[in-house]
Amino acid sequence: MGPLVVNEIISQNTNFFLAFLIGIGFGFVLESSGFSSSRKLAGVFYGYDTVVLKVFFTAAIVGMLGMLFMSLFNWIDLDLVYINPTYLWSTIIGGIIMGAGFITGGFCPGTSFCAASIGKIDAMFFIGGMFLGVFIFAEAYPLLEDFYMGSFRGIPTLSEALGLKDGLVVMGIIFAALGMFWVGEWAEKKFPREGY
Amino acid sequence: MKPRLYLALFFIPLGLILAAVPADTTHPYKLSPNDLLEYVNSGMQYFSPDEVADMIIKKDPSLVLIDVRSEDEYEKFHLPGAINIPLSSLLEDQWKDYINQDLRYNVFYSNSTVNANQAWMLCRQLGYENNYVLQGGLNYWVETIMNPEKPAPTSPDEEIARYNFRKGAGQALGGGAETETSSQPAPELPKIAPRPQKKRVQGGC
Repeated sequence: MGPLVVNEIISQNTNFFLAFLIGIGFGFVLESSGFSSSRKLAGVFYGYDTVVLKVFFTAAIVGMLGMLFMSLFNWIDLDLVYINPTYLWSTIIGGIIMGAGFITGGFCPGTSFCAASIGKIDAMFFIGGMFLGVFIFAEAYPLLEDFYMGSFRGIPTLSEALGLKDGLVVMGIIFAALGMFWVGEWAEKKFPREGY
Repeated sequence: MKPRLYLALFFIPLGLILAAVPADTTHPYKLSPNDLLEYVNSGMQYFSPDEVADMIIKKDPSLVLIDVRSEDEYEKFHLPGAINIPLSSLLEDQWKDYINQDLRYNVFYSNSTVNANQAWMLCRQLGYENNYVLQGGLNYWVETIMNPEKPAPTSPDEEIARYNFRKGAGQALGGGAETETSSQPAPELPKIAPRPQKKRVQGGC
């Protein structure tokens, strides 16, 4: 029966409305759990606070398990779920630029809007920087196009790339995540920081 | 330490269950005649000319246009970037890597849709994924993209937006629509809505 939009169970507009509600909930939870503090995000890089890593990895696991179980119960057709196409080198370079932005700005795009909404001026500058970056990219696009569109690798998933069953990959990721949580908590003890 | 333990005890068994159940076997390799009929009726194998024009202009690397007409016809005219695989030689070994792949969208086209659909159906029954058909073929392409018909001024906004897109696309792709507008500044290409989902070959749900 799912995905709901593809199979026209709900309309595109209803979908946007649901996304709007989910977005508000997401922003509320981010702010109420302190993600609008740039120290929290920077903490991942310095090791004194790995809450961000744990939250997003947990979200990934929950989403992954949910999708596969719903597929198992025939509630959703995973072949109709959109998967981002892979452009290998542009993804790698984009990831490096984004990571550099994370650590220097102390926000990710989502948390910057959270922080701006409670009046943090650095977050507003961060948002301005994002728009500036978008503008520069758009203006320079003809120069970047070959690189941006090059190294297209189709739409592989981890399991297809590794030639393993989805379920096995999921189990591997769960163990990897639990291992990372453990490393994260170890880092928090190793690099403690008072009153950040 | 308690919550962490509970978390692990919750996730690990679920992961084990997923690792133990057999992989999805509900999707058949070959469609039964009934499934195929349903599939053809729903028109899911088609890419519309607008989608294809948009992809050509954006130089989308996931698009491979395959001209299934004869070599002569291909030499005379073909869509930008199209490769030529005449229908008669479709199943030769040299083309196998093109039509049996899981990377790009192959879009077959011929003058109408008959030959392209034949090519698509052959591929579908061989279990090859990611093959599609240009809706309406080249005839419809010329009609919609190269010489779009101007809608009445009272038409709904979407229709006028679609006309503007087609006019811009036709000019960008060397169509005949330019005489009327050559004095105007080069039109920006309006966006058409991006594909809302990954279009993958599936029967009913």
